[in-house]
Amino acid sequence: MKFYQPTTLKQALKVLANEDDARCLAGGATLVAMMNANLLAPSALVSLSAVKGLAGITRRKNGSVTIGAMTRHQAVADTAALDGGQRLVREAAALIGHPAIRNMGTIGGSISHADPAADYPTALVTANATVTIENSRAKREIDAQNFFTGYLETALEPGDIVVAVSIPAGVAGAGSAYEKFARVQGDFATVSAGVVLALEKGVCRHARIAVGGCAATPIRVAAAEAKLVGSRLQDSAVAAAGVLLAAACDPIDDFRGSSEYRLMILPTILARAVSKARVRAETVS
Amino acid sequence: MNPYIHPVGARLPRLETREKITGRAEYTDDLVRPGMLHAAILQSPHAHARIISYDTTRALAVPGVIGVITGDDAGWGRSGPFVKDETAIAKGKVRYVGEPVAAVAALDVDTARQAAQLIDVVYEELPAVFSPDEALAPNAPIIHEELATYVNVLGLPVRGNVLQDCEISQGNVDSAWGECDVIVEGEFETQAQYHAYMEPCAALAEVDANGKLTVWSSNQSIFRDQSNLSESLGLPMSKIRCLSPKVGGAFGGKIEITVQPIAAMLAIKTGKPVRIALTREQDMETMRVRHPARIRMKTGAKKDGTLVAREVDILMDVGAYADDSPGVVGVSTVFSRGTYRIPHARCRGKGVYTNKLRSGAFRGFGGPQAAWAGEQQIDEIAAKIGMDPLELRLKNAPEPGREWMCGIELERSDLKECLEKVRAASDWKRRRNEKGRPGFRRGIGLACIPHISGVLSSSAIIRILEDGSAVLSTGAVDNGQGSDTVLVQMAAESLGLPVDRITFAQPDTDASPYNWGTSASRVTYMVGRAIVGAAEEAVKKLIKYASQMMECAEVDLELRLGGFIGLKGVPDKVLPFAAISGYAHWAAGGPIIGTHALHYDGPVLDPTKAVIKHFPFRFGVWTFGVHAVEIEIDEATGRITPLAVWAAHDLGRAINPMAVEGQIEGGVVQGIGYALFEEMVWDGGKVANPSFMDYKIPGTMDSPMEIHSILVENPDGSGPFGAKGIGEPPIVGPAPAIANALFHATGVRLTKLPMTPERVLRALNEAPRAH
Amino acid sequence: MTTTVPITLTINGALHQAFVQPWHTLLHVLRDVLHFTGTKRGCNQGICGACSVIVDGEVVRGCLSIAANCQGRTITTIEGLANGNTLSNVQQAFLELGAVQCGYCMPGMIIAATALLKRTPKPTEEEIREGLSGNLCRCSGYVKVVRAVQVASERGTS
Repeated sequence: MKFYQPTTLKQALKVLANEDDARCLAGGATLVAMMNANLLAPSALVSLSAVKGLAGITRRKNGSVTIGAMTRHQAVADTAALDGGQRLVREAAALIGHPAIRNMGTIGGSISHADPAADYPTALVTANATVTIENSRAKREIDAQNFFTGYLETALEPGDIVVAVSIPAGVAGAGSAYEKFARVQGDFATVSAGVVLALEKGVCRHARIAVGGCAATPIRVAAAEAKLVGSRLQDSAVAAAGVLLAAACDPIDDFRGSSEYRLMILPTILARAVSKARVRAETVS
Repeated sequence: MNPYIHPVGARLPRLETREKITGRAEYTDDLVRPGMLHAAILQSPHAHARIISYDTTRALAVPGVIGVITGDDAGWGRSGPFVKDETAIAKGKVRYVGEPVAAVAALDVDTARQAAQLIDVVYEELPAVFSPDEALAPNAPIIHEELATYVNVLGLPVRGNVLQDCEISQGNVDSAWGECDVIVEGEFETQAQYHAYMEPCAALAEVDANGKLTVWSSNQSIFRDQSNLSESLGLPMSKIRCLSPKVGGAFGGKIEITVQPIAAMLAIKTGKPVRIALTREQDMETMRVRHPARIRMKTGAKKDGTLVAREVDILMDVGAYADDSPGVVGVSTVFSRGTYRIPHARCRGKGVYTNKLRSGAFRGFGGPQAAWAGEQQIDEIAAKIGMDPLELRLKNAPEPGREWMCGIELERSDLKECLEKVRAASDWKRRRNEKGRPGFRRGIGLACIPHISGVLSSSAIIRILEDGSAVLSTGAVDNGQGSDTVLVQMAAESLGLPVDRITFAQPDTDASPYNWGTSASRVTYMVGRAIVGAAEEAVKKLIKYASQMMECAEVDLELRLGGFIGLKGVPDKVLPFAAISGYAHWAAGGPIIGTHALHYDGPVLDPTKAVIKHFPFRFGVWTFGVHAVEIEIDEATGRITPLAVWAAHDLGRAINPMAVEGQIEGGVVQGIGYALFEEMVWDGGKVANPSFMDYKIPGTMDSPMEIHSILVENPDGSGPFGAKGIGEPPIVGPAPAIANALFHATGVRLTKLPMTPERVLRALNEAPRAH
Repeated sequence: MTTTVPITLTINGALHQAFVQPWHTLLHVLRDVLHFTGTKRGCNQGICGACSVIVDGEVVRGCLSIAANCQGRTITTIEGLANGNTLSNVQQAFLELGAVQCGYCMPGMIIAATALLKRTPKPTEEEIREGLSGNLCRCSGYVKVVRAVQVASERGTS
């Protein structure tokens, strides 16, 4: 196994282009656990720790927030930059694992691993985030929703590195929330839900919802969102949205819960996220 | 009072704390010996297979590999506490997935692990059984074909895959049902729980030029290690020295052999010191679990709440090796009667081999399974006759003057006192009437806990050093529960010496007197008694030599606080221990050594008063506990959150109340893990969740901060300073108490552990909305 | 081909050098190369927290940190908390309150508590529980652990 410690993105991309089966080492929270368990033995590790410009959170004038790929979960959890419709990303970051894990793990590493029970994928799909990807030849952007393509699968091609995630300002006056149900605190989600809402005189005029842990990728259903838009977010509307989402999900049975159980509680987790987001949206508007 | 001078009853911090909080404490995997090699194991991929051949060529060719062992290097010696069925490493057959079949010693652990995977083993797969039902089926594959020829210490009626088949019965159950106004009947299931000691099993072995083997390991008994190694390696005990550095938790999982034979075989083969530490995954795949059990139980009572009869059938999954199973099944069978006077009882327990990881001793030793069933049935009866479950328990509690079970009468009703104290502390009546906030239900439930301390033998040696300070040797291994401290406290109190004038000798089979083990909640009680006896002998000698020095009669002398022998009635006529010990060492008499040895000699189950078949212990002094747990249930997700626990325990006397609280708080949370989260799951023959990622134990956020320890201190006549053990009982209460709280809150009863949100929610959804 | 990586670490105030393989974790190097055995290996998967150490001021998992990636960093292990024979406030409180049983989780627990109090000098009970949520203990039931951190916090942060 080789070890590379590039200091520029260009160097890093060059190594990745030339080394078959090299892995980027971001925070290590997932990659090293897999190496320790003998599940993975890459030919080379390309550390991104010393690469300049990959960490940090920037809020632009238009309200969008860009989070560098090497930004630690704790930094995202602590940032004041994410609010309104973006707040759920901060909330999700604060619920990842435990303090030591949040000090290590990075947003780029987390989404590149693309565990559907992890917190970022669902939050980023809900927040309509864009993932910026670079390789030695080009740079491109892709919607979070299209970035997650399957269980532990993404749109990343060999040689690609996630360099940043951008969260748009979104709808003015929006409130958002991320809700997670896990076996024990800090575990991956059995079911999670992200919600962004905007209200006008108590009527929902914008809604984006995604659920996690219930399929190979975060699940978003336009029809479910449509159930909320125009409603007063009464229980029946939220329940109807939950039913539509559940119908689109295909959870697996694992130690975190059976497929059936996930579908049983999904409407509740969604309703709790909606109710939190609604309070926040009302406070804003 | 100064806790160092009046140590018994003092809240003394553990004596070794500074070592542990500065990173200086040495655990087995921290030890290094010159030229030491590192070891790794190869595990069986099959649940049941005959081993045809090994090829170690590829492994031995790896640079850095020094030696390899397989079953061919092991003899046919078999070890075990009851039925001796385990060779040092798999030989002839493998009997569960993950069983160690070969091991490598290399210069570093990476090389050893890599090489272990290069050992080729040819197997002939055999049909396997994964549940007692499968194992009991006609024509089921036999896991130990030669079972009948194994050493069977107690003559258990082994046959086929049946290892243990015991009974404890009294009265006439069949006719007693007619006397009952209410009868409840049900089937209960419990899961495999992993000990999850934070330190995975580890051992370091070394052979000297004379062929003497020294083994340091993480264990609960250096003497069980020595005995097991002697049996499986075929070496006399005099050629085996076992030691125990600090132990990172054990909970029953390290009382019998772990990886010591593998380290020993590699050390013998290579002539070098060899250290092995299991990975967490390997530990979960190769060590032990709490017995999964299926319990059929029927309990009957009169409508005034008087318990009349109980019938119990316990079926336990032993796994591939007997280990402590005959004992666990037996104790579970006794404890299945609960803490009550039940005149008619028929309790039977069966332990059956399967092709799974062995089940073994685990804090509670069969008690948690029995209480899961029995304490729920007590609440079922209370509900049926409309009686408060606490009152029902009070009504049937053992009391002086009335036989409780198997001929035993108790001097006091400590259970009643525990119940009353929990009633008062928990504000039972008010909490029974509390309603939950919207979307949540709230309930409080009870469980009573029977347990014992005692069992088998222990000994102690106290040596008074030349300067009057002392060395205490007991051979008792502290697994973290604090016995080193508590034992020194008792020695100090007995000798009138300050705590810091006594040193606790690290357990070493070459030097320590025998102690069966740190198990069965027995160290405080049994080793404590040995210490009191040894101290008495040492004091007697101090007085004898002082009388020679002071030229007076021994009867005129007394022990005085601070390490003195004084003339009765004359305050300033004293000799310090230093002077007396100096005299003994240099002038006359010889060094002062006090010793005491005992085998448990207290109350036993009387075979003339009951049918007692194949119960493997003489047993111990009884101790009781009562837990009340208040919980909240999320109606929408089914999640149970324990809010507060009141835990009253009858422990005779708390030698160190702070350590006692630690046992109660830790046991309660381990019990909450058993109740709500923990379950070892198999996929066919393979442990499917052998990691802390998939197998969850409670963390800070999952544990209640409100755990009220209630110490009921009525000194026991036989215990040292009146003390009894407290190690195990606290784990027994939470699961049934939470189940009863769940019923109280929702009218729903779960019979299968753990009470996962999913099981709770399904039960809530299926139940009529009665509440 | 394997690269052997030379690294220099400042551990508890002193410089240490080691040659490591790319897959070696900081935990491995601390324990098995440099013999800082106070830091424990409980699961090697980042779950139990026994290997927690402070790197550049923040608590991390030693078992998930690639050693080669720690070049030049400043590391505090459990061996580095006491000042000679004077225990840190956190250590002293753990001792006095009887929070320590088998002790195997304690190096990680005390490191996590130290990092928590640095970040949040006066934490609420809930913040303490959250701050220690990644450190499993099988002996204590956590009650005395949380109380000890409260006591340490009342006495100040050193």
